[in-house]
Amino acid sequence: MTFRSKLFWIFTIALLVSVGVIAAGVTVVARRAFDELNRQHSEALVSQFEGEFQRRGQDVVHRVQGIADAEGTVRMAIELSRPKADVSVYVNDARGVSQSHQLDFLDFVATDGAIISSNEWPARFGYKMDWLTQPQDWSSLGSFLMKVDTQDGPALGLMAVSTVRVGDRDLFIAGGERLGKEFLNSLVLPDGMRALLYLDLDPDFQPTNLVDASGPVVDGERLASFIARERQDPRKQAFEISWTPNPLSTEAFHALPLQGRQKELLGVLLIGSSQQEVVKLESRIRDLALAVVAMGLFFGLLLSWWGTARVTRPVRKLAEGARAVSEGNWGARVDVHGRHEIGQLATAFNRMTTQLTQQREQLVQAERVAAWRELARRLAHELKNPLFPLQTTVENLQRAREQSPEQFDEVFRESTGILLSEIENLKKIVGRFSDFAKMPQPELGPVNVNNVVRGVVKLFEAQFGAVGRPPITPELHLEDGLPTIQADATLLHRAIENLVLNAMDAMPAGGVLMLRTAHQNGDVELEISDTGSGLTPEECERLFTPYYTTKQHGTGLGLAIVQSVVSDHGGRISVESETGVGTSFHIRLPSRPPLRPAPSHSPDPPAPAPSENPEPAAGEGA
Amino acid sequence: MKLRLCLFLAVISIALLHAGRGETSRRPRYGGTLRVEIGAVLHSLDPAGAPADPDEAAAKNEIDALLYDQRNPDGTFAGVAGSGAFHISEWESGKHVMLAANENIRGGRAFVDSIDIQMGRPAKDRLLDLEGGKSDFAEVPPEEARRAADRGVRVSTSQPEDLVAIVFVGGRAIADDAHAREALARSIDRAAIVDFILQKEGEPAGGLLPQWSNGTAFLFSTAADAPAAKDLWSQIRGSPKIVLGYDSGDLLGQEIAERTAVNARDAGIGLDVAAISNPSTSPLGYDARVTRLRMASSHPREALAGFQAVLAPMAGLDPSPLPAAAAAEQIYERERAIVSSYRVVPLVWLPRVYGLGPRVRDWKAPAAGEGWPFADVWLEQESQ
Repeated sequence: MTFRSKLFWIFTIALLVSVGVIAAGVTVVARRAFDELNRQHSEALVSQFEGEFQRRGQDVVHRVQGIADAEGTVRMAIELSRPKADVSVYVNDARGVSQSHQLDFLDFVATDGAIISSNEWPARFGYKMDWLTQPQDWSSLGSFLMKVDTQDGPALGLMAVSTVRVGDRDLFIAGGERLGKEFLNSLVLPDGMRALLYLDLDPDFQPTNLVDASGPVVDGERLASFIARERQDPRKQAFEISWTPNPLSTEAFHALPLQGRQKELLGVLLIGSSQQEVVKLESRIRDLALAVVAMGLFFGLLLSWWGTARVTRPVRKLAEGARAVSEGNWGARVDVHGRHEIGQLATAFNRMTTQLTQQREQLVQAERVAAWRELARRLAHELKNPLFPLQTTVENLQRAREQSPEQFDEVFRESTGILLSEIENLKKIVGRFSDFAKMPQPELGPVNVNNVVRGVVKLFEAQFGAVGRPPITPELHLEDGLPTIQADATLLHRAIENLVLNAMDAMPAGGVLMLRTAHQNGDVELEISDTGSGLTPEECERLFTPYYTTKQHGTGLGLAIVQSVVSDHGGRISVESETGVGTSFHIRLPSRPPLRPAPSHSPDPPAPAPSENPEPAAGEGA
Repeated sequence: MKLRLCLFLAVISIALLHAGRGETSRRPRYGGTLRVEIGAVLHSLDPAGAPADPDEAAAKNEIDALLYDQRNPDGTFAGVAGSGAFHISEWESGKHVMLAANENIRGGRAFVDSIDIQMGRPAKDRLLDLEGGKSDFAEVPPEEARRAADRGVRVSTSQPEDLVAIVFVGGRAIADDAHAREALARSIDRAAIVDFILQKEGEPAGGLLPQWSNGTAFLFSTAADAPAAKDLWSQIRGSPKIVLGYDSGDLLGQEIAERTAVNARDAGIGLDVAAISNPSTSPLGYDARVTRLRMASSHPREALAGFQAVLAPMAGLDPSPLPAAAAAEQIYERERAIVSSYRVVPLVWLPRVYGLGPRVRDWKAPAAGEGWPFADVWLEQESQ
């Protein structure tokens, strides 16, 4: 992943997180605000209901008191206070009086609790309402909730009781309003809100007891658990319910327990508030937040793309410059300006490459001089040996001509033989140098490296076990199915040959020569190891330098030729060595050498004169 | 002293003259139209047809008893036969019928010239019209009699002759359970029904015949026994319910049924009340129904036979008729047999109550099986 991509993704993620956090924060804050608003709304409605409830209660108290104060009721009380009073004449009175006073429930009850007349259950005359005869100051009690037995079953009533006392006898007037859908209908509710009433008249939850202004609530059983909670713990509670999977059907409820005189739960009022508008509003806010997030992301990404491009452009140029330097273009320069850190870095980079170029030129110059010197020394050394016999032979010839003419022919014959031998020797020396200078261009073809290795080993088989020489054991670990590569088999053979020769030279006391091949990612790896005396780190560093040798009679060109061959095939060569343990050469050859300009086979020092002997520099390695 | 005596004699003479004039005004007077209001709605006076509704049938019988006309098959007047007290002079189906006095009736012409019978008048309106002087005669529901009298209406009450009873219908599981029937019969507080619902116009009924009829009514218990009812009901397996029906237009029947439900509930008996809009509906939606039966005759045997004829098919009773010369013991035993089966649970006896306008004179409540004696009624002339 590029630096720009990393930077881009960092910016993007940071942007995404920031925008997401802000959007989520806005949504949460909005949601809380809506919840709070809704809660206040519902509480206001609950308060309104409580106020309405109290007002209704007062109204019921006044109406019942009005009945008690009416002349007819007083006359009834007076009549009933007489001995053997006939109560039957009043059996239907409750019906008419309740209608005129708009009460759903009305009972005239004698002092012993016997019903004289009942509106809600006319046929119940004569039966007792014992709760009325219990000691109670009804006038101070005001209104209260009560479960009322009616002809159609129990009902919930907002009741009040008044008494008319004549002598020592009381006439009780118990009246009230039914709490049901009519009561709910009379409540003024804002749009989107509704009131449900659960009449807790049965031991278990009954869906039919849950009514709204239009009658039994559809799917009322879904509120059973909330009603059960209220029955267990009667207090104001709030909850939400979704009637369908659609969030728009969500409804928030505030439950208000309705308790009787003994604090027994008689009903539950549920103020429902449709969350449709809230959900819609939240959805709009969420959509808006998402749109803002999307737009923020879009523009943020564009900005990030542009910003990262702007920020990383000098870095990319620096990277390209560094790559160019790594590829050998030491004079690469970076065109970055500015006073910022990258600009300073670019200036430093340019200064560094300038210095590198200068130092490289100086180094090359120095190395060239050193190489020339080395070449001169080598040449001088190599040429000096044959030159001395030549000189002495020529001097012998001159001396024999002057001092012993009779022996001159014999001396001449011997001397010319020596001269020819030494000249041949000189030609060989020159040939070796020429051979290195005239490394041929590789002629690529399909090559199986295993076969080349086997060919080289076969070539040296006789020498590995030669008489009078400590044996060398070759070990071949050649991978089966090694892919063929495009290479020059002859040059490859020469390179391996040189490495094998070096290994043999490194093991004068015998040892193990291990050749191993393998392939990885299409490349072929070749390892040639010996168990010789090994090399020092300093020797390893200079090992591939032309004309550098650790041998007495080496030319220092063998490993240089190997490196040249490997390099011409686009491969790499490295060496690992440990003193006293051995040395391993690792060669990695690609399946197909990259196209590149014709390699320069001559090192910086001038190439020696062409040799007539095309023999490779076998055994002239390190 | 003489002067005083003369003054005293003069005062006495004037008083006697006034009294004589008043006596003269109480003498029967011919003329006038007797305005009658009834609740029933008649669409035909065809002698061959009988309305299904008991009230309509009763009203038709009353009108029939007044007529001696020839009538068309549709019940309309076809001509004066010459022997009846009244004949139909106007007929408007379902609304009113005008009867005119027959001049040539044997035994003397009726005092009133005509009788205007308005049909379909609710009880409340009938009473208001009586109070307001818009009518002269109307049937008053027994439960309204006391209230009507309190409001100044002249009320005439007959002997108790309508029996209100609960009749268990045959073929229903719970109705065929003797324990259930007896439990319900014992749970009912008849006295409370009479006192409160009927406003003391009536008598608790334990038997099928009233006390005045054969004198054995006192042998039948009318007292409620809730513990016994509870015990009987507890012997029934499961938790059945009795459905007690009443005619949807019968307000009194509804009140009695509802009171019965209260008594039953007090005794632990499961009982639901249901209005019957169409009694002929099959299958029946009720196990028992509140039924009102009118005595066909004041004679015990005939009255019991009449009840038996009505109740036997309904309750699955023994339909065998009583002998023509059945003795009082046989009548009692048959009555006892019916009542002991608890298939018929007598509740109350009701009188027939009539409201009379102030100008109606010489009215006598008819005996059981008799019609309205309008031929004997005369109308006092209204003061100018």
